[in-house]
Order: sequence, then structure tokens, then C-alpha cells
Amino acid sequence: MSVVVLLIVAGGLVAAGFLGAFSWAVLSGQYDDTCTPAVRVLLEEQPEISTHKGTTHVDVDR
Amino acid sequence: MLAVSLPDGRAAAVAVVCRHCGEPCAGAADALITADGAFCCRGCETVFALLQAHDLDGFYACDVPPGVSQKQATARDRSRFAALDEPSVAARLVVFNDGARARAALHVPGIHCASCVWLLERLWRIDPGVERTEVDLLRRTVLVDYRPGATSLRRIAEHLADLGYEPAVTVEDVAAAAPASKRRLYLQLGVAGFAFGNIMLFSIPRYVNGAPLDAGFQRLFDGLNVLFALPVLFFSASDFFRSAWNALRTRTMALDVPIALGLLALAGRSFFDIALGRGEGFLDSFAGLVFFLLIARLFQQKMFERIAFDRTYRSFLPLTVHVERDGVLTPVPLERLRAGDCIAVRAQEIVPADALVLDAPGTIDYAFTTGEATPVAVAAGDTVRAGGRVAAATMRLRITREVSHSDLARLWQNPVFARPKRRWLSNVNATFGAWFTGAAVLLATAGAIAWWPDSAAAVSVATAVLIVACPCALTMSAPITLGTAAALLGRRGLYLKDPAVALDLSRIDTVAFDKTGTLTSALEQPSLEIHGVGGASWRHVRALAAVSTHPASRAIAGADPMDAADVTDAGDRIRSAGRPVDVVEEPGRGIRGIVDGRTVAIGSSAFIAAATGAIPFGPDHATFVVAGKERGWVRISTAARPGVEDAARALAEAHDLFLVSGDHHVEQTRWERLFGSRMRFRQSPDDKLSFVRAAREEGRRVMMVGDGLNDAGALAAADVGMAVSDGTACMAPACDAVIDGRHLVDLPRFLCYARRARQVVMLCFAVSIAYNAIGLTFALRGALTPLAAAILMPVSSLTIIGLSSGAMRWSARRLLPS
Repeated sequence: MSVVVLLIVAGGLVAAGFLGAFSWAVLSGQYDDTCTPAVRVLLEEQPEISTHKGTTHVDVDR
Repeated sequence: MLAVSLPDGRAAAVAVVCRHCGEPCAGAADALITADGAFCCRGCETVFALLQAHDLDGFYACDVPPGVSQKQATARDRSRFAALDEPSVAARLVVFNDGARARAALHVPGIHCASCVWLLERLWRIDPGVERTEVDLLRRTVLVDYRPGATSLRRIAEHLADLGYEPAVTVEDVAAAAPASKRRLYLQLGVAGFAFGNIMLFSIPRYVNGAPLDAGFQRLFDGLNVLFALPVLFFSASDFFRSAWNALRTRTMALDVPIALGLLALAGRSFFDIALGRGEGFLDSFAGLVFFLLIARLFQQKMFERIAFDRTYRSFLPLTVHVERDGVLTPVPLERLRAGDCIAVRAQEIVPADALVLDAPGTIDYAFTTGEATPVAVAAGDTVRAGGRVAAATMRLRITREVSHSDLARLWQNPVFARPKRRWLSNVNATFGAWFTGAAVLLATAGAIAWWPDSAAAVSVATAVLIVACPCALTMSAPITLGTAAALLGRRGLYLKDPAVALDLSRIDTVAFDKTGTLTSALEQPSLEIHGVGGASWRHVRALAAVSTHPASRAIAGADPMDAADVTDAGDRIRSAGRPVDVVEEPGRGIRGIVDGRTVAIGSSAFIAAATGAIPFGPDHATFVVAGKERGWVRISTAARPGVEDAARALAEAHDLFLVSGDHHVEQTRWERLFGSRMRFRQSPDDKLSFVRAAREEGRRVMMVGDGLNDAGALAAADVGMAVSDGTACMAPACDAVIDGRHLVDLPRFLCYARRARQVVMLCFAVSIAYNAIGLTFALRGALTPLAAAILMPVSSLTIIGLSSGAMRWSARRLLPS
């Protein structure tokens, strides 16, 4: 039965990992705008754009 | 309309629409057709050419032409962004600047679709100094990263304006702050969800029949549950306790009070049960409840994300004014403007403060503040009121009163703007809150007394009553129903400031309309009533009118020749008149000149009398015309929005309609059929405000529909103030809702939908009270087991969420236009 304890600890750690990942996503601003990114991916990217430094680099350092 | 032949040989008539903005070209005064396609105006063609030149025509990849119509674009005077060179002004927009790189947040009201995002995020192709742009479609803001050495904020604003996305650079700050409260809500939701899942996992072994767990595991599971419940209690649920505390302190009974009471009872009872080893407690119900309540709160918050509607009078004024000092014009921020300053106001700019005209006469258009459509002529020495728009040439003015003391500002200092409106929903919440708290406490005491000799049972019954009496489903139904309704209405052109406005809309019994800009639209061609001139004379009059920029002249020049009442010779319409010579225009009074050798004059009766010596005869407020010996008059009325009369008729079935207009009463007969005697003309902004107040004191529930500034007071005083806006680049004044002018005709259906929303809220209230009653029978019998609570609570929450959002979506499909 003591293996259950091991499972509980493992399960708790995995769940806590996901909670941590979610918190990181929220705090880094990924949930600030939930509308535009959905629209942005639909737009055709022209080949020469990806060579430009500024646009492919998507940092959210607010 | 244009006839085109389809591949299979059939001919079809298609409406020609602008390649850039998709608006119909027919009827547009300066539509043009180039090799690239048709355009509704010169501005649209310019933007198209600019995009072509920068290889950005991917903008037009979608089905509908995505551009912003340039018809109303303000005169392309680039100096209006000169204010952005002023560091104190720029500082309001710049989020961060280290000299080498800077980031600015601009509010661009014109952003509306995916193509806008595509284009604006490629701004660096047009301005190489821009490194990156990021568009927020919902809040309509653009974050621009740029190198201050290579470009400037002013240049960026100019480039945006050239593309048709003019940034709203006003005195108000742009809300660029990261939405911290929203992040907090997501974190609270995440923690609650995490705890809810884990607590359920550890509670299930207790609920399943079979060999009982050994005591050690039970204690372990209970301990873990308490551990998971603590962050829910202290972090996720903290806002509910805070707002309940605030409500208690101000002695109002919001629904948050019984909620907080129920949550405290749930958590407290569970901790005690676990500590005393009496059972597993209700921690799974507790975490689940907080989780569902936070989902409802997220719904509510998503609605508030849209741009704040409230603007003050200052958002209508220019940022800086050109002040003449030692003969040189220098831009000066508005707040540093002093009485006695001599300022130059260019054509189409708004006069920022009450002022005296210094030299040349000019014309001032007060449509913005009074609703009067006809511009007023002013001469040297006349007073110009703040909020007037200079019509033609640059005017020199001397400020007589500072901005904050002007007429415009005084209207905004009216106390109606100071107090937030009380929404009916908050009344309902307060009533239900008081009722619920009273009933719950009463029943809990009664239950405890009934079980009294057994003190343990009495306490458990009392807490069980408080737990099930928690009106959680009730608090979820209103935000979710109204939030869904507001989102669906927003997709159809009616934007509510707060979802709770939908409930107020459902209770309206009186609708007051402003006329100019509301029932009529600046975008429609005015209609003309012509008397006494026709044929060649009418052609001569039109030829002369074409020289002038006065709205009446523009209407005459743009009129279809067939409008002339007595055109007899069809050939006349084809031959054009010669060029007018010796033209003399007195701004705002009239114009005269010689066309094909005949003396032609257009203007007010005094002007005609002075110019030709003849005393004109005709109705008041008509524009008089003379061509040679022929005399006549023209009455110009701005056209009603298409379909607005039918909409008003539909509204009149269930509502009392009033017309409250700042304009003169010449168009009375036109609206008489709709409004009967309920028409008031020549109403100042103050009159409109007191009209609305008086109607409300009579017990009416009034909705005021107006175009913004000149009825801002009335909009604020009404139960629902609805501003009509043309075009996506709207100036949203102090109001409760903004309606897109093109969708004004759907107003009766919107109101019908709002009434449906109220019925759904009431239905949800009934359902949740039924659930509470079922729970109470368990609680009072002392039979509320953790399992019963764990089933009843999520089931009731999910029913309410499903019922409210489902019913609103279903009725949107049935009641609203698609």
C-alpha cells in the first residue's frame, strides 16, 4: 500500500508543475490578449518577412 | 450600378464597391475609377497606392475589402501631430525609452479586423525606424517598438494616419498599463481549479463503496485536502470576502454577503470536522464552488476589457494649439493656454476655448456642440464658443476664457457626470442579497433550535443550511447571461459599456431621439426641395455652387439635376454650364458671380437683397437663389438614415417616442408622422438634459439616443444613454452604449433581445432557488452529506452556466439579425 504514497507524491508534483507552468504563462502576459493571436496565425506570412529581425522575434517582456 | 457580363453570357448588375473600404461608390460625390479598380474617394485611392508601393497588397487578401473609409478623414494637415514632438505630450504615450529603443502605446480606434492586424504589424516596411508593432484587436491598441534616432513618435503617427489608422491622440492618457487585475483573476482561477481537481481525487475513495480505507490513509488524505483548500480560501476566494466586507461596511446588502457567509461556513465546518475526526468535510464542494464562481467573474471581466467609454470634454479638443507669440506660431499644450492668448485655428480644427474673432470673418460649425447643421458666419469682434469647428480658412482668435471655464467645460461639470449611474441589476442584487442573508440566517437558527438538545447536530444543521443557502447559482446567472448577451450584441453593432446595461435596456418605456447625426447621417446625401428655378437657371446655380465649400452649396452642387421641379428639356441636363467668373463669397452668408453672362446668387435673404436688390420671398431658413431674372429658393434637409423611419415605427408600438433636437424646426413636417406632437426643437444641451430629467421624474424609464457631445448631459442623465457613431473610428462619449449608425435600424430587435435577457435571468433565478430549496430540505433534516453537497453544488452551477449562455445564444439566432 505504501506505493500509493509514492503515487500521491508523484501526482502532486506533476499537478504542481502544471500549475507552475500556468502561472508562468499568465505572469509573462500570454493571457493579456486572448483575441489577437488567434487572428494573427491565420495571416499569410510572406517569405521575405521571416528574414527581418524584428518581426519573427516575439518577446513579451512587459 | 454597373452592368457586367458573366462568363456564361448572362448580364448581371452589381453594385460597385470601393476596392479599399468596400463602401458603395454609387452616390459618393468624388468616386473615381482607376486602372486598379473603383474607389469611393480620393483618400481610399491614396492608401491603396501607398500599400502597393510598399508591396503590402496582401492587406486585400480577404474576401471583404478591409480598409477604413477615408471619406470622413480629417483634412490631411500633417501639423496636427506636431504636438507629439512636445516631450510632455509624448510622455503620455511612451511606455519606455532608453534612448536607443523606445516603446509607445497608441490607441487606434480604426482597428477592426484581421487585415488591420496584418498591415499594422508590418509598419516597419513603411517606416524603417520601427522595429516591431504588436496589435491588440480587442482593446484597439498598437504597441510600437522603435528607434528614437531613426524615427519619431510624430512620424509614426503620421504614417498610421496615412494608412487610414489615425491614432487617437487626445489629452486623455492611453491605458497602456498591463491588465494586472486580469492576470490575478487567471491565477486565482488556476489555483482554484488545481485544488478542486486534487481534492476531488482524494475525496473519491470515501464516496466509493467497498473496503474502508485504513485510518492512516484517511488522515493523510484529509490533511492533503486541507493543504489544498488553504490557498483557495486565502487567495482564490479573497475577492469575495473583500467585497462582502465592503458591502457590510457601507451597509448595503450585495449578494456577495450570503456568498461569503456560505463559503466561510463550508470551509470552517470542514476544517472543524477534519480536526475533530468527525468526517471528511465539504472541501471538494468548497473548491468547486470557488472555481465556478471565478469562471462567472471571468465572464464579467472579459466584458470590461473593451476600451473605457468615459471621456471628458477634453478628449474632443486638440492636444496643442498654435499660439502666436512675437509674430511666431508655436504649439502650446492645451493646459498651458491662458486667457488673452492669440491663437490660430486651422480649417476643420475645433476651437478649444471661448474666444473673440480677431480679423478675417469666417464660418463656425457648431454641429458638434448644439446639433445645428448650418454653420454660423462670424465677423471680427464676434464671440466664438468652445467646441465650434472652423469651417473654411484659418482663423485668428483671442482666448477670452480658459479651457476649464468655457461653455463646453461647464456642461461637463454638471453633477450628472460626477456620480456613476445606479444600474437596475445592483438594485436587484441588493434586494436579493438582503432577502437571502435574512432567510439563510433565520433558517439556520430555526434548524439549530429544532435540533437543540443535541448540540453537535444543531451546529451541523445550522452550517449545512448556510452552505446550501449560498446563492452561488444566482450570482453566476446574471454575469453569464448578460455577458453573453453583451458579447453577441457587440458583434451586431451595439456595444454596451457594462453587461448590466442590457437589463436597463429591457425596462425602457420612453425613447428620446436627437435628430442631427442620429436620425440623419452626415454620410447620406441631403435631399433638396427646389422652387422657382429650373432648366438652364438651375444649371447656372449649380455651377456657381460648385465653387463654394459651404455645406448648402455642396448640397446644391452635388444634387441630381432631375431634382429640379420643372426641368422640361432633357437636353438641358447634358449641356453643362460655363465657368463662373467674378465670384464673391461672403462666408456663411452667400455667394454671387456671373455664369454664362448671367448674374447668379445663392444665399440668405439678406444677402440676396444686398446682392441683387430684389426682396426674395419664400419660407424661413430656405436658401435663396437668383439666376438672371429667375428667383427661387431651395430647402435642404439632411437625409434620414435608410430604414430609420421603419425602425422608429416598430419602436413606437411598445415605447413612447420623443424627438429632442438642437436644430431649428424647418423639418418638423417630415418627422410629424412618427413623433406627432412629441417634438422639441432648438434645444440647447442643457434643455435636453432637463427634458430627460423631467421625463424620469414623471416615472418614465428613458433611453436617450444621441450623437455624443451636444447631448452628453442628456445621455448621462437618462436610464440608458446610447451614442450613435458612424465609422469604426468612433469618438465614444459619456454614455452607456454605443451603437454603430448602420445598425440603428436594428434597435427594436436589440431591445427585444434585451427583454429576453431579462427573462432568462429571471428563469435562472427561479431554477437556482429551486436547487436551494432541495438543498435546504436535506440540510434541515440533518442529511446533507458531503457526497450530496459534492453532487448538488456543481450540478446547480453547471445547469445555470449552460442555461444562461445557451438560452442567450439560441435567442440571438432567432431574434437578432445575423
